[in-house]
Amino acid sequence: MILILMGVFISLSFTSAQIKDNVCCEQTKTGFYCLNVQSSECKEGARQLPTSCESTSYCKKGICYDSNEGSCVDNTPQLVCNANEGMWSETVPAQCNLGCCILGDQAAFVTLVRCKKLSGFLGLQTYFNKGITSEVQCVMTAIGQEKGACVYDFEFERTCRMTTRYECTQGEGDKKGEFFVGKLCSAEELATNCGPTKETTCLAGRDEVYFKDSCGNAANIYDSSKLVDKNYWTNMKTKLESCNSNVANGNSGSCGNCDYLGGSYCREVSSSTGKASYGNYICADLNCKKTQNGKDYNHGASWCVNDDKGTINKGDNSVGSKFFKHICINGEEVLESCAEFRQEECIEDKLVTAKGELSQAACRVNRWQDCTAQTEKIDCENTDRRDCLWKPGADLPALKIVAEAEDYGGGVCLPKNTPGLKFWEGDEAQTYCAQANTQCIVTITKDLFGEEKGQPKNKECLEDAWEQEKAGICMNLGDCGPHINWIGDKGYKSGYNKTTSKYSED
Amino acid sequence: MQKNYKESILCKNMSLNKKGQMTIFIIVAVVIVLALLFLFLFRKNIPSLFESGLNPNEYLKQCVEPEVKPSVEILADNAGYQEPQAFVLSEGKKIQYLCYTNNYYETCTVQQPLTKKNFEKELNLMVKPRANRCMKNLIAEYEKRGYEVSSEKIDSEVSVIPGKVLIRFNTPLIVTKEITNKYSGFNVEMESEIYDLLFIAQSIVEYESTYGDSASELYLQYYPNLKIEKTKMSDGTTIYKLSNVITKEEFKFASRSLAWPAGYGTDQIKEAK
Repeated sequence: MILILMGVFISLSFTSAQIKDNVCCEQTKTGFYCLNVQSSECKEGARQLPTSCESTSYCKKGICYDSNEGSCVDNTPQLVCNANEGMWSETVPAQCNLGCCILGDQAAFVTLVRCKKLSGFLGLQTYFNKGITSEVQCVMTAIGQEKGACVYDFEFERTCRMTTRYECTQGEGDKKGEFFVGKLCSAEELATNCGPTKETTCLAGRDEVYFKDSCGNAANIYDSSKLVDKNYWTNMKTKLESCNSNVANGNSGSCGNCDYLGGSYCREVSSSTGKASYGNYICADLNCKKTQNGKDYNHGASWCVNDDKGTINKGDNSVGSKFFKHICINGEEVLESCAEFRQEECIEDKLVTAKGELSQAACRVNRWQDCTAQTEKIDCENTDRRDCLWKPGADLPALKIVAEAEDYGGGVCLPKNTPGLKFWEGDEAQTYCAQANTQCIVTITKDLFGEEKGQPKNKECLEDAWEQEKAGICMNLGDCGPHINWIGDKGYKSGYNKTTSKYSED
Repeated sequence: MQKNYKESILCKNMSLNKKGQMTIFIIVAVVIVLALLFLFLFRKNIPSLFESGLNPNEYLKQCVEPEVKPSVEILADNAGYQEPQAFVLSEGKKIQYLCYTNNYYETCTVQQPLTKKNFEKELNLMVKPRANRCMKNLIAEYEKRGYEVSSEKIDSEVSVIPGKVLIRFNTPLIVTKEITNKYSGFNVEMESEIYDLLFIAQSIVEYESTYGDSASELYLQYYPNLKIEKTKMSDGTTIYKLSNVITKEEFKFASRSLAWPAGYGTDQIKEAK
């Protein structure tokens, strides 16, 4: 009996990393602070200890507090903070405790010092409430304040400003006045020197365009039909009571009821916005029209775009391809690439809001690393743990995932989005791709006269289909095998070797 | 009768008005002629505002502004550093890292926690010499125009505040020429939205150091005029370009946090070791 054994194989070679001792260096020659590097990379005279930076006193991370601005930054090494005249603390210092800072009819959830600073910038009294422990509660407190007209005498004239009851009655010096809740300064009954105008204005922290009275105060939301409406210039109207409150009013010349979440915001008129019937401000449309994928998106929406050649989520991404997240910012489509070598993938979902659906995308880590170690379909497809796909019937002989193995689960587990490899340098790519090496022994039995006896065992291994299937698994691993690149061009080489040899003859 | 009486009274008043007007015109004309004569003869000794035409605040603003704007731009282009130390090269430009790790799979260590403070420090280094020179020039200008000037040590300070770059000239001046004007100092303001960009950068650095990345959309909720552009490089570095869509001001910096190697990264780990 004669046995002819043939095989296709690539040898594996593993390398072990040589680990050298590092030091925690206070400052490197390249100017970085607190890095674990080789001793020779440390700047002359800089402190260095053969330990992790976290274990040193000078590079230990903590909170850096800026007493001038009242801001706190975490994860700052002690020496970096001190060098910048900050106050370093291992744990959160009391100065970094947040509270609610009321700034007129606005609010900020900040530290006390920051609150003082912001109030100072706005010329307001500091109103800080440390009892409020969440940002939402803080914002609600500001919204819930009574607002109205504050009438006071200034330079022998009865004038007025729009503010909160607190600012009006507790304000400093001659800014104290009589408060009229819900009234506008232009109200005739207040008998002030403020009256209606055709001018409009934008307010800090507000989306909408507002009418402006002759004293420069913001009145109600701009509505061209209410220009001479006495009631509209007398009583404060809510956003819902104002024009077209259910839409964003982007580039509307007649209604200034802008809605930032809906994609419009108060801006000065320009060639791109068109003109307002009155005044120089308009609800500028911030949404993106006809983006790269042909769809329209709202300002702040983000979505995934994969226009590289090849496919995604099917285990055959093209070489050099990567994921992109697109964001609509102020009417402009801005691209953000996810990590190189497809170490991140773009994921997308929709948020359901009162204004409709809002697409949101993010670059998320591609968890392909332990795919080939999974032998069961259920583990392979566990999306809580990894991003892999199950290929039934396939095998990876180099990893002993073969039909004959005891723990063979009926297929192999491969990355859903294949990792990119630096195949042009180093030997990792070769080692990694070698996981797809396979050897098939075809057994042909001949009789004494040299005639083939029966069907050869594994004869299909000699066929093109077998070769293509194995090359496919090769590609499913990463930048291995006969891939195309991200613009769709094939490589100059086949991407794999097939060796057919006579194994032995008895 | 009644009507006629009223009319006659009216006519009488009108004739009186005409005479009065004439008198006023003559007086005004004489005053103007005398004033012009006085100005012409004694103009060197008159310490009037319109004669000197020198508005100290405006003078200082015009003098210092050409230095401030380019300096802000240079610093903003380099994360607040005149000469970046720890940087990455992007399109031939050095971009300073504000947060960095040389390892894979780990978040970065903050390299500059107080972005605004550092920006002001560097801006002072760039602008102060010019600002002090401007102050000296102002004094010289006053002296040239015949004023007696008394001043203390010349000093200035640049700070960044919301919506502005503020240059404080902390030099009290006493300017005398018949009358004395006292100035405790001068403040020159220039519109700039760099303050917000600096604090956003600081916040992003904190995000990067905690989570390894930041979400641009989060900042858009709070800052309608903000545009964030992130460029990822093959070594895991992210270059941030923050800009104000209205003023077009920009602030650039780099961060390397939670970087991933190609494949399992055994080659890179070997290199790093």
